[in-house]
Amino acid sequence: MKAFAKIHPFVLMIYFLTIVTVSMFVSNPVIKLLSLAGAFLFSFMLTDKKEKLEDIKFYLPLALLIAVTNPLFSHNGETPLFFMNGNAVTLEAVFYGIDISVMIISVMLWFKSCNIIMSSDKLIYLFGRIMPKTALIISMAIRFIPMLKRRINEVSRAQKTMGLYSVQSYTDRLHSLVRVISAVIGWSLEGAVETSRSMKSRGYALKGHTCYSDYKFTGKDTAILSVFISLTALAFWGTSGGCLRFYFYPVISELNTDFRAVVTYSAFGVLAFFPFLFEVEENIRWTYYRSKISALRTQEQKSRL
Amino acid sequence: MKKDFLVIFTLVLLAAVLIMGTDFQSVDEYYLTHISDIKEDSYTVTLTISCKEALENYDRLDEALKNEKYVPSDGFILKPTKYVLRKGDTAFDVLYRAARYNRIQLEFQGAEKNSFGSNYIKGINYLYEFSCGENSGWIYTVNGVPPNFGCSQYVLKDGDKLDFVYTCSLGASVLNFKTNGR
Repeated sequence: MKAFAKIHPFVLMIYFLTIVTVSMFVSNPVIKLLSLAGAFLFSFMLTDKKEKLEDIKFYLPLALLIAVTNPLFSHNGETPLFFMNGNAVTLEAVFYGIDISVMIISVMLWFKSCNIIMSSDKLIYLFGRIMPKTALIISMAIRFIPMLKRRINEVSRAQKTMGLYSVQSYTDRLHSLVRVISAVIGWSLEGAVETSRSMKSRGYALKGHTCYSDYKFTGKDTAILSVFISLTALAFWGTSGGCLRFYFYPVISELNTDFRAVVTYSAFGVLAFFPFLFEVEENIRWTYYRSKISALRTQEQKSRL
Repeated sequence: MKKDFLVIFTLVLLAAVLIMGTDFQSVDEYYLTHISDIKEDSYTVTLTISCKEALENYDRLDEALKNEKYVPSDGFILKPTKYVLRKGDTAFDVLYRAARYNRIQLEFQGAEKNSFGSNYIKGINYLYEFSCGENSGWIYTVNGVPPNFGCSQYVLKDGDKLDFVYTCSLGASVLNFKTNGR
């Protein structure tokens, strides 16, 4: 388990909510790039080597695709590169496309790490008492896609051992995929109904029903929460004057670099890099303790000799 | 494997059609247009592109567009100018030719992309639909009257007065009707 996941769920929820909202709604490239860098570094700490490679394979082409799509449909901007069917493909639109793809990828990466950190028991703990049904649905929905992936693998392997679709043809494989997916979706929907029934029969959502949890709001959590809140407040103070306003059409506007903007950038930067730095600090401490242990051991061995 | 070849072939074909059907031009090619010189016997129309209403509603205009470059203070992006009317020219053809000749930015939605069967003017000189409030956009009139056709469907006559007008009120000032209070 990662160190960041040990923080109280309420603090974690506040953190992910702010960071995702800010990355989605603040239209400033510096903020977006900081958010992307933070999300990228943190999600890379959470995944193993194979998954990292898969992530790069997925997110890079996706980013490129999003970036290319915008200039094909949006022709505003003062610097035309060439004309397509009488409409301009402009530099501004290309940059705007890149901006959009940075935003989407960073939000996706934040959700990815949020998914790993906020396990379903944390969600149930947070919302189980206030809105039990919604909490159950959310926790089931979040779990749904990874479960679908796992089951698709399972079913397709079973099909292969039966000797089906073992031909090296893409169309045949596509055909088998359709079959597998229809089977898996049927299975999963049935599973969802069963889960909700089983929860009901256990008395979930009844009055006075409690959920087991061992989360305690410690002094460390209070400290972290106050850091988050003060950083967010600082960032809000910066945005309120409209100094982070940025637009791409018709000309890309200049980046604001006065004191207020720089304060906002750095406050948000610390906020975005917080989980990454938290993990790094924890790793350093861990290696330090380990080296201490091994040093003790060698000392012991020496004294025995 | 044969199936794969078929699939790849269809994909290539589709891509080819897509590319062949798309016309690419460099910037210089695009702006290098010839408009015929006006002779004594040539048919002409007078074209005006005006954005007076954007000036009147300056506070509602996008921050990025509050500039003499985009919304000239005299209200004319193109002052009344005579252009040669070629046979079968629609209002859009005249505008398109004039815009290219004068290097005025123009974005339109092609007739095949909407359900009206006519080109739709999205923006002229970086002044776009919705740039000045939710009821803003480009409309056009011929001899002061708004025709009931899209601009690439209306064929012009000799001596017509063609105005492209930027409106911030769904065209209330031009069409002589009142919008619902907004």
